[in-house]
Amino acid sequence: MWNYAVWKKTWGDQRVLVLSFAALWSVFPWIYIWLSAQIPMPAFHDVLLRAIPEDWQKLSGVPFSEVATHAGRVALAFVDPVVVLAATVWGITRGSDAVSGQIEKGTMEMLLAQPVSRRAVFMTQAFATVIGAALLSAVLLISVCTAVSYGPWAGKVEPLRFIPAALNVFGLMVCMSGITACISAADSYRWRTIGILCGFYVFSILTKLVGRMSGTFSWLSYVSVLNAYEPQRLVSGSPEAWQTLLLYDGVLIGVGICGFIAGTLIFSRRDLPAPL
Amino acid sequence: MLVTTNALTKRYGSSMALEACSLHVSQGEIFGLLGHNGAGKTTLLRLLLGYITPSSGMACVDGINCATQSLAVRSRTAYLPGEARLFRRMKGHAVLDFFSGLRKECCRLRAKQIADRLELDCNRQVARMSTGMRQKLALAIVLSTDAPLVILDEPTANLDPTARSEVLKMVMESRALGRTVIFSSHVLSEVESTCDRVVILRSGNVVHEQSIESMKRSHLITARLTGSMGKVPPHLEKSVSICSANAVDDTSRVTIESSGSLKEMLGWLAELPLEEIHIEPVGLSSVYDQYT
Repeated sequence: MWNYAVWKKTWGDQRVLVLSFAALWSVFPWIYIWLSAQIPMPAFHDVLLRAIPEDWQKLSGVPFSEVATHAGRVALAFVDPVVVLAATVWGITRGSDAVSGQIEKGTMEMLLAQPVSRRAVFMTQAFATVIGAALLSAVLLISVCTAVSYGPWAGKVEPLRFIPAALNVFGLMVCMSGITACISAADSYRWRTIGILCGFYVFSILTKLVGRMSGTFSWLSYVSVLNAYEPQRLVSGSPEAWQTLLLYDGVLIGVGICGFIAGTLIFSRRDLPAPL
Repeated sequence: MLVTTNALTKRYGSSMALEACSLHVSQGEIFGLLGHNGAGKTTLLRLLLGYITPSSGMACVDGINCATQSLAVRSRTAYLPGEARLFRRMKGHAVLDFFSGLRKECCRLRAKQIADRLELDCNRQVARMSTGMRQKLALAIVLSTDAPLVILDEPTANLDPTARSEVLKMVMESRALGRTVIFSSHVLSEVESTCDRVVILRSGNVVHEQSIESMKRSHLITARLTGSMGKVPPHLEKSVSICSANAVDDTSRVTIESSGSLKEMLGWLAELPLEEIHIEPVGLSSVYDQYT
């Protein structure tokens, strides 16, 4: 089933994206912590606990008293758009290239004229995407740990408590990749796949927010996969953090794997349109 | 038979792309597929490759079902799509490396030799190649394999005359090596000069099958009739058919088709009341016009 040529090409296709995101996530935690350190803790504490309405704590996911700590402030880097959007972009970009991207470019025709199975083509892309996600999550973790150990807050936070948060980022990337790859397997246009996933992402954010803020519609939280992305809850350093991670990543990675499996089945059975 | 289809049908909603197509391709022959745009040629080829599943019927390559064992079929087939798209960011030699890595029997050196024969610069990125250059690159990929069946959909499209000639030579060389070639093209002269047998499709149906050898023995005679035609002699009845006898401007014109020996025909023609006799070999274009 596996073909080295397909594997090598798939890695080559994502090489630039991996290197770009690795560079971004290598630098971002340093900049973020440096910028955060410009606001003294007492001032941050005051703003958070006195200036912001208590009702808004529901949006945070953790009590403001936990956010107003060094670990809590570092954890906010994991929910910063630089991390969340990059993780989502990774998933959507790689997932959409699995099938619909290649069909739209017309390259799937020549590729599948060769003695290589559709399953091998799809699963190679899936594995490369997941391994890339793991590498990027590791880069992010290493960068956070070194920034915490050697940056302005050196000695104030235990670096290893951010491992569950980095694993939660990995889970988000796998989830978005799997869902996107599944849609891509059924689609023939990459732009449409990306559009669907962007819509899904916005829907997930909105349902998460509405579910958080509304008592009547609190059940909406369970509709959103982003409800399982709460890295700020995973930095306590306690065993509960790991148990919570198990639940969160169980949902995210489970959804992602289901997406990949469904995508494999869909792609293996569908008719391929001729290149336009 | 290397390729067999049995009532192969493909329907897209209410549109019939291919209807009850039954044909066979013998091992070692060059088989031509002709038809208008939308006749079903590419649909047939894509059904053989397993890109699409048939609505009904069956296709087999070397006894292997094309729909259920597509991987096995593709390991025995080299296919050039009508629109061969390659990876734009790769250079030509990287593309050859990639595709030769996908097949055990593909020879990288042979691919390079074919590319050189077609005068292709493989150091150029695919995105910077012209349409003709990309076609040459795709041909180098396809013709470098040892697959027993080669399917070429419009292989000479976008090629200069020199490259066209080389490609047709390579097709003939493939047959000399015992390979079977299915050749789909709109260029009738190429099909006529290369193929052993052709099938004409129209609106998804096979409307005519023609042996090129027997077609070349056939002749078309047109003349002005100045008297009564009379009956065809018994010894010529099987090989002669009078296609039409029209009256135009107080003169009658007659068209006679002969599939037998011209020598015997000439004797009979000399006795007929005919003037302005015009004799020409039956070409593929007249067969094509007749059935499309």
